[in-house]
Amino acid sequence: MKKIHILGIIIIAVAIGAILTTLGSTSTYANFTEATQSPDNEFHVVGKLNKEKEMIYDPKTDANIFTFYMTDMDTLNPTTKKVVLHKNKPQDFERSEQIVLIGQMKGDEFHASDILMKCPSKYNDGKPQAAK
Amino acid sequence: MEYIGEHLLIGKVGNVFIILSFVFALLASISYFFAARQNEETLSWKKIGRWSFRIHALSVIGIVVTLFIMLFNHYFEYEYVWHHSNKAMPMRYILSCFWEGQEGSFLLWTFWHVVLGLILQRTTKEWEAPVMSVISLVQAFLASMLLGIFIFGDNRIGSNPFTVLLREHPDWANIPLFTNPNYLEKIDGNGLNPLLQNYWMTIHPPTLFLGFALTVVPFAYAIAGLWTRKFTEWLKPALPWTFMAIAVLGIGILMGGAWAYEALSFGGFWAWDPVENASLVPWLTLVGAGHLMLINKNKGQSLFTAFALAILTFVLILYSTFLTRSGILGETSVHAFTDLGMSGQLLIYLLFFLLLGILLLIMNWKHMPKVQEEESLYSREFWMFVGAIILLISSFQIMFYTSMPVWNKLFDLKMAPAKDVIGFYNAWQLPFAFLVTILIAIGQFFKYKNTDPKEFFKKITFSLLVSVLLTGLFSYILSYNNALYILLMFSSIFAAVSNFNYITHALGGKIRKAGASVAHIGFGLIMLGVLISTSKKDIISQNSSGKDISALGEKMTNNDNILLTQGDTLPMGNYWVTFRGRRAEGINVYFDVDYFTKENNTYVKEFTLSPLFQVNPRMGNVPEPDTRHFLTFDVYTHVTYALIDAPNKTENTKDEYTAAKNVPMKRGDTVFSSNAIIIFDSLSTNFDRSKYNLKDDDIAVMANISVLDIRKKYQANPVYVIRDNAIQPVPSRVDDLGLQFMFWKVDPQNGNIEISVQEKKANVRDFLVMQAMIFPYINILWMGCIVMFIGTLMAILERIRKS
Repeated sequence: MKKIHILGIIIIAVAIGAILTTLGSTSTYANFTEATQSPDNEFHVVGKLNKEKEMIYDPKTDANIFTFYMTDMDTLNPTTKKVVLHKNKPQDFERSEQIVLIGQMKGDEFHASDILMKCPSKYNDGKPQAAK
Repeated sequence: MEYIGEHLLIGKVGNVFIILSFVFALLASISYFFAARQNEETLSWKKIGRWSFRIHALSVIGIVVTLFIMLFNHYFEYEYVWHHSNKAMPMRYILSCFWEGQEGSFLLWTFWHVVLGLILQRTTKEWEAPVMSVISLVQAFLASMLLGIFIFGDNRIGSNPFTVLLREHPDWANIPLFTNPNYLEKIDGNGLNPLLQNYWMTIHPPTLFLGFALTVVPFAYAIAGLWTRKFTEWLKPALPWTFMAIAVLGIGILMGGAWAYEALSFGGFWAWDPVENASLVPWLTLVGAGHLMLINKNKGQSLFTAFALAILTFVLILYSTFLTRSGILGETSVHAFTDLGMSGQLLIYLLFFLLLGILLLIMNWKHMPKVQEEESLYSREFWMFVGAIILLISSFQIMFYTSMPVWNKLFDLKMAPAKDVIGFYNAWQLPFAFLVTILIAIGQFFKYKNTDPKEFFKKITFSLLVSVLLTGLFSYILSYNNALYILLMFSSIFAAVSNFNYITHALGGKIRKAGASVAHIGFGLIMLGVLISTSKKDIISQNSSGKDISALGEKMTNNDNILLTQGDTLPMGNYWVTFRGRRAEGINVYFDVDYFTKENNTYVKEFTLSPLFQVNPRMGNVPEPDTRHFLTFDVYTHVTYALIDAPNKTENTKDEYTAAKNVPMKRGDTVFSSNAIIIFDSLSTNFDRSKYNLKDDDIAVMANISVLDIRKKYQANPVYVIRDNAIQPVPSRVDDLGLQFMFWKVDPQNGNIEISVQEKKANVRDFLVMQAMIFPYINILWMGCIVMFIGTLMAILERIRKS
């Protein structure tokens, strides 16, 4: 066997390894109902901030806890859950259009370790208006 | 309706330039195509090709100038101008507005191709026709991105900054403002995102796009080589261009990293974000291609792979463009562009050049010259080939993971990125980095063809020993105990040391020939800097509020933020920090934080960092970090949360009390107000009731509360009164401290009470939640970047000088 063939086999093995670990180390997008059904797994839950319910961030007590309510994107049966984010309250949180939470259900609360926000502000901005 | 003050003529001029640029790029490509076929018409076709490309070049410059005139003069009737600029913006940012939008960035890319094309026309000699034919074809595709015309009904080709008027834009068409014929008098532009208003935005995109543009040269040569079946002759002229592309694209990527580190708040220089990966991956394959081209030029091996990688690199550049411009990345990236409806067009563009490359490779596979004898294990070409293949696998892993949203779309999956994306990439890429740096270390000590093993080991031993010693020393200083980190540290140091050794010994210090070695030293230093600053990154802003949050589960503990109340001094890492206060400058709010060290119980002020918030109600408030650079480490901080308006301290409300805070307490308990310590001492029923105007049948209990601030101890005595079956508490105030206490509940069994504490608004102090981290030895990384860039330039100059 030529060296080039050995190299070829190694390449293929590593490439398959890359594909398998990639598929193996992913999380899944889910809604709250699915997250509740398997509380041991971590999920990405996409949803919208529920602005009617309370948001609590008291950095003087704990700068790393922020609670709010989010409604998931389930079209048939949108569910609202209390979310405990173990991080600071993101700046401009109220302006978020869409939220992605990363975490898992604990009882009736969703405990998120991280959050991604889609803000209308970042790249897609205001509308034409007369200057004041 | 007749609108007043619109400048519609200039848009028409711009549009003519766009159409000309497209038509003449196409014409140039076709003419050059025929010119590449050797026959009696060659010369006249070549002439047409040349002039067509020149007209195309002029048109592109015309487009650029027209767009600049529109931006400079604030012609807000054009959507592009309105969207990306405004009147208040300093002129120096007009350049940034130009390429902020998609159309402008395509234009920048096209412009660099034009510059390269004009140089290549003069320098490529016998390669002119086929190479320019490919480049003109690429230009035709890029120019079509700006056409903005409709074919077959609703299918729009390109997005044209000159024909889209603000008042006709589908999003704004029904806005009442446009019923006013004089709307331009009143309107101001949307403006450039303040996040992008810094010098990085002026220098990073042009550099990165020049890097992108340069990859077209090896691609065009490779295609030309396959097409004209001059399979090896293309290597020599293409090599300096390839390494130029490596240098410029590399520096462009690293500039992006430096920008992220200096001005954005994700806490580092590299986050494996899809947009970053999209430019890193073509760079890796380009480095592979460049090295394979060198092998082939010297020894004739690896020709097919060299072709394949040169073509793949350009296709990957197109794929990056597709990923970042089509909106497919969605949630997974912080800075993907929104979809302009051109993803289909981009996909066609991508597939066209991919299939063209594959087809030419298959058609010519049999005709390519092949070296029959197998490479020796002790030959430079064998290990260079292995290195190129490792780069290819490494880029495959990155691309496969980055493309997850594409797989989701293709196969209707619901995969989301892993929780620790950065960790996942690092775990995969670390072994690749180890292998590549080892190869860099030993590569040059192998000769082409064959090396005497004894001689090889004799030459390498010195560097090996020095590197082992240095690795031991650094591992000890940094207290490393992770075997993988120690391995990478060794290989990176080995790469730098042995290349240095190669310059001083093998080359006898001949600087002219040392380009490759210098570049390799730079790469070794980059890897070393990346390794140390990333693995030893230390988040010093731990939660020191005293609250235990580990009860919530270890997995959930994320206490990387520190709360600083104005005036308090808290320990943080090796420092004591004080939040001195905020100050506003324009749209920026700076938070001044002083850093002290403690010597013999006195605080010595070391420096001040002022991370800031850009307040922009229209575009969102964005934090910007501040970093203190030292020789061996950086202190990096950014604001994670702060009130946008300072707590209320205006004259007319400062005497009001804040909302009450209700605290259940048992005897001896302590609570804190912002300026004092409050201790519940005892309850008493035996006190002078007349002071409180109490009736005989009132039930009354008094709480004895001590209030301590730094200087003095105060007493507060709120009274709990039940009169006629209703609770009527009597408050107690400590006016010096602006505190008021009331007492609402008492448990008769155990004497526990609930008191409500109120503070005057003047008492409330400003606060700041921030993150601070130490990046050790990050300067090694930046130094490595510069060294690698210089080394690559040296190698290019030497190559040009020789030819």
